[in-house]
Amino acid sequence: MSEIRQIAIYGKGGIGKSTTTQNLTAGLCEHGKKVMVVGCDPKADSTRLLLGGLAQKTVLDTIRDEGEDIELDRIMREGYGGTRCVESGGPEPGVGCAGRGIITSINMLENLGAYTDDLDYVFYDVLGDVVCGGFAMPIREGKAKEIYIVASGEMMALYAANNIAKGIRRYAKTGGVRLGGIICNSRNVDREHDLLRAFSKELGTQLLYFVPRDNIVQRAEIHKKTVIEYKPDSNQAQEYRNLAKAVIHNTKLDIPTPMTQERLEEILLEFGLMDSADDYHI
Amino acid sequence: MAKLLDKQRYKCALGAMQTVQAITRAIPVLHSGPGCAQKLSDSIGSSGYFSPNIFPCTSINEKDVVFGGAKKLETTISNALKVIDADLYVVLTGCIPEIVGDDTAEVVSHFEDAEKPVIYASTAGFKGNNYKGHEQIIDAIIDQYLENSKEKEKGLVNIWADVPYQDLFWLGNIRELEKLLAELGLTPNTIFGYQRGIKNIDRIPKAELNLLVSPWVSVGNMKKMEKKLGIPYLHYPILPIGAFETSKFLRAVGEFAGIPSENVEKVITEHEKYYYYLIERYADMFLETRVMAKQFSVVADAQYSLGITKFLVNDLGLVPAKQFITDDTPKQFQEQIRAEFEKLNYGLKAEVEFETDSYKIHNEMESHDYHGYPLILGSYYEKEFTEKLFGHYLNISWPVQDKVVLDDFYVGYTGGIRLIEDIYSVAVQRWN
Repeated sequence: MSEIRQIAIYGKGGIGKSTTTQNLTAGLCEHGKKVMVVGCDPKADSTRLLLGGLAQKTVLDTIRDEGEDIELDRIMREGYGGTRCVESGGPEPGVGCAGRGIITSINMLENLGAYTDDLDYVFYDVLGDVVCGGFAMPIREGKAKEIYIVASGEMMALYAANNIAKGIRRYAKTGGVRLGGIICNSRNVDREHDLLRAFSKELGTQLLYFVPRDNIVQRAEIHKKTVIEYKPDSNQAQEYRNLAKAVIHNTKLDIPTPMTQERLEEILLEFGLMDSADDYHI
Repeated sequence: MAKLLDKQRYKCALGAMQTVQAITRAIPVLHSGPGCAQKLSDSIGSSGYFSPNIFPCTSINEKDVVFGGAKKLETTISNALKVIDADLYVVLTGCIPEIVGDDTAEVVSHFEDAEKPVIYASTAGFKGNNYKGHEQIIDAIIDQYLENSKEKEKGLVNIWADVPYQDLFWLGNIRELEKLLAELGLTPNTIFGYQRGIKNIDRIPKAELNLLVSPWVSVGNMKKMEKKLGIPYLHYPILPIGAFETSKFLRAVGEFAGIPSENVEKVITEHEKYYYYLIERYADMFLETRVMAKQFSVVADAQYSLGITKFLVNDLGLVPAKQFITDDTPKQFQEQIRAEFEKLNYGLKAEVEFETDSYKIHNEMESHDYHGYPLILGSYYEKEFTEKLFGHYLNISWPVQDKVVLDDFYVGYTGGIRLIEDIYSVAVQRWN
């Protein structure tokens, strides 16, 4: 039995972390992998596509209502392809400490024995920016050693990715956490592929996969399904299968080299514009 | 590099629950973990009304951190109002709810219509020590309880001095200051200790003047009261101990309050006559024993370090070695405090260091040549250290393990005599 590959997915809010993680998970299932997805976002929408809706009571809601003496099946549901789905959840917006909530619920999962030997992958789908120590919990010692950052060619997505890389570098020194690469969730901006490749190189990592933009993702989401479940023979389903393959075979794990704001801007100027500056017409 | 702080002489801001405790029939309601209050409640001397070991406390745990502790706070306050008969309820927040971001102000606002006043002070430890916490409590009273009064009482003066319990002489001192002001013909008003309390708090806005006797603690409170309640203040930065400083103090207060100087001088003369009568009777002993302690150091907060240094130089003619101030004095006050140490009689100046680390303080004292056995007035941390130097030691600042103080005091003429008694008792015990 090989060790569980624990993977944390970070990236700017709204970039498509949850969508990418769940579609990737569906792809891994097709490869016969056993996967657990742990949503680490108070909004608790990280497993919606796998479960066919927000059908899950979160760990923290359960603790709040029923106390800490609970069984694992109260907080873990089985979703598409036998995936195990957990939502950490959080306090109501504006009160309490969501970061501490993540820590509490991951500790709870460990205590309840959620990490069984038959698992091949555990994914932590973490809220947008790593705003405090609690949201770094999944990459602390003994948990996810492998991180993928979801980004696009948009300035703010790259800015966030660079910031997250700073956090990874910090934990890389003490724990064994490494950056596995950037997953581009395309927004169809100018020269996006070139820009992401250059950005990844500067960050001391690789562009693991470029997921093209396709409206089928939106349609699948409305149907509360991953693309692989919704339209298994579509091009986009194949893209996610390819992404899954890229993750399975990836052995390149690096300590990132975050860049200064100035350098980031330079890369944007160099790669982020079409040849002609005035080609933008409405 | 992490800095190690060895044996500091203060507590965290939540320690200001002692300030509330010193207001008779006021009760602290703690919004903190259960351990905070337990660790902070070790001072000698309870309020006599409610033990610090059973203050109402939300005793927050991990669940309250994640979901916020507002509900628990609400029930704790509401139950405290039901089961504890107090005149004033002061909610104090510790670090955890402040980090989590509990909206204490909002919760406390639900009790606006309660039969008894409920106010709150933000006393997270990371905001500073209990000197700062003390200021927060007074600020809370000013901001949330007191209202401007058009009606003023002629000659009414609010007196503010030491931080209760942190200063072991707080009760005796404030009573003695009251007595001195009364002798000048003023009407003193204080809020701490026996037979004081909410009625005295209610009286604060009617005062014509505020008198602050402290180098820095509560200066902000005075400014706040001046702005909100229109009460001008006299900031007298020296705790007057002994005849020289007390006479100076009375003249300053008299002038500020518009008391005819002949009245002030009459009070001073009476006191000085008796004071010097006592000194004269023991003059031989002072002469004989002063060779045993040529130089002295005080290790205390700014209040005592400055007050005692002035007294030992100006009244007893001792020579100051380096003096240490251990209360983490805010930078903006340090220069003016330092300047006071340079205004001593006989052209003497005392070097002073603002230092919170006992290891460094002891190293400095150890390397100094006291030209004989030193006289060290400090906290209990100085006891063993002074024994090493074969010096004379008196416990005058927190922590106190070597002295029992019920209502003893060092302020004023009488206080000066008490301090002389204490110092020379140490000296004569040593040599007899």
